[in-house]
Amino acid sequence: MDQNQHDRLAQEAQYQSNPMMAPTILPTQTYGHSLSSSYPRLHPYDPQAMYQLRQEPLQQQLTNFWAKKRQEIEETTSFKTHSLPLARIKKIMKGEEGVRMVSAEASVVFAKACEMFMMELTIRASGSAEENQRKIIKKCDVASAISRTDVFDFLVDIVSGHNKIMEQQGFVGIPRIGTALTPTENVPYYQMPPHQSLVPGPPYGSSGMVVGMPVHYQNHPGLQTPTMGPTPNPQNSSRDSDS
Amino acid sequence: MSDAPPSPTHESGGEQSPRGSSSGAREQDRYLPIANISRIMKKALPPNGKIAKDAKDTMQECVSEFISFITSEASEKCQKEKRKTINGDDLLWAMATLGFEDYIEPLKVYLARYREAEGDTKGSARSGDGSATPDQVGLAGQNSQLVHQGSLNYIGLQVQPQHLVMPSMQSHE
Repeated sequence: MDQNQHDRLAQEAQYQSNPMMAPTILPTQTYGHSLSSSYPRLHPYDPQAMYQLRQEPLQQQLTNFWAKKRQEIEETTSFKTHSLPLARIKKIMKGEEGVRMVSAEASVVFAKACEMFMMELTIRASGSAEENQRKIIKKCDVASAISRTDVFDFLVDIVSGHNKIMEQQGFVGIPRIGTALTPTENVPYYQMPPHQSLVPGPPYGSSGMVVGMPVHYQNHPGLQTPTMGPTPNPQNSSRDSDS
Repeated sequence: MSDAPPSPTHESGGEQSPRGSSSGAREQDRYLPIANISRIMKKALPPNGKIAKDAKDTMQECVSEFISFITSEASEKCQKEKRKTINGDDLLWAMATLGFEDYIEPLKVYLARYREAEGDTKGSARSGDGSATPDQVGLAGQNSQLVHQGSLNYIGLQVQPQHLVMPSMQSHE
């Protein structure tokens, strides 16, 4: 368990360090090289190799997923069978304030959209499980996938229940939900040099990056699922290029 | 990134405490069936992939939140445009606005094919409606959606009796 936690923290730190590769304070080199020069080895694995190894399969999985989805839609011959009950979707939609009428096609579109949403989130969660060398996807993997993907910010409140449960068991000492919801707190984060080992001040205390480094040194077991702000990461590279 | 960032505080009153309800009835209304969710999640994994129950439960909550999130954005657009019915294009617009660009192209194809299929069964020119501008869709959309509402009544008659009122309300407009 401790070994897995260390691995996770190291990987989380790597993800969090991504935005700092872009600023000019860092040498313009390959991500892998920057990583190896920026972080000491805190565990037997080589962060550079592990990082690259894990990124490529996930991106490939997502690319394959979208291509497969497109093909599946092209081959659709019947619109009477759906993977999700349309009546239930419609009921959830009408639960929103101000919603009056919902067309049949809206429910049909949502049935397909929800399928895509769940499959994308599951693929990303499976990447998190693999990082911890597990074959079973758990709730914390879903939470991790959400915290790493900008477009899933609206789900932070859903998975914060997970953090609360962890907190009650004494795992989480510092609440970091605010970090994900407060854009201003992420601005100084980008400018922070990677070798900074001191905590600059109270506002930075909630930054996942700052908290991550002391935890490595203090061997704190609680920070299993630190939340991240909407920082860019390689998993979103294809999405960013689209927009 | 050219689109507006999604707002985490986008929740509306109806979904403020999705996990607060533990009664079977409300749970059924608020969430999609866990069996369907489990099946879809497994489709995204290799055959030997396993999913813990707590991950499925979390996904159940997440997908309801996804529906509410997109619906709320689409609903605001409809209200601004003085339209009463949310249609497929409104959902696509909302998803694009909220950052789900990857979903738009496949769903556009899906929606177009659905409208073709509906056109065949109904004997009406659905493709024409699809190509009209939002303003023009208003009147034509009302008629076609009335038919759709009637069609949906057969499927959901038992679980949504209030649908019996919908057609008559619409005919008055």
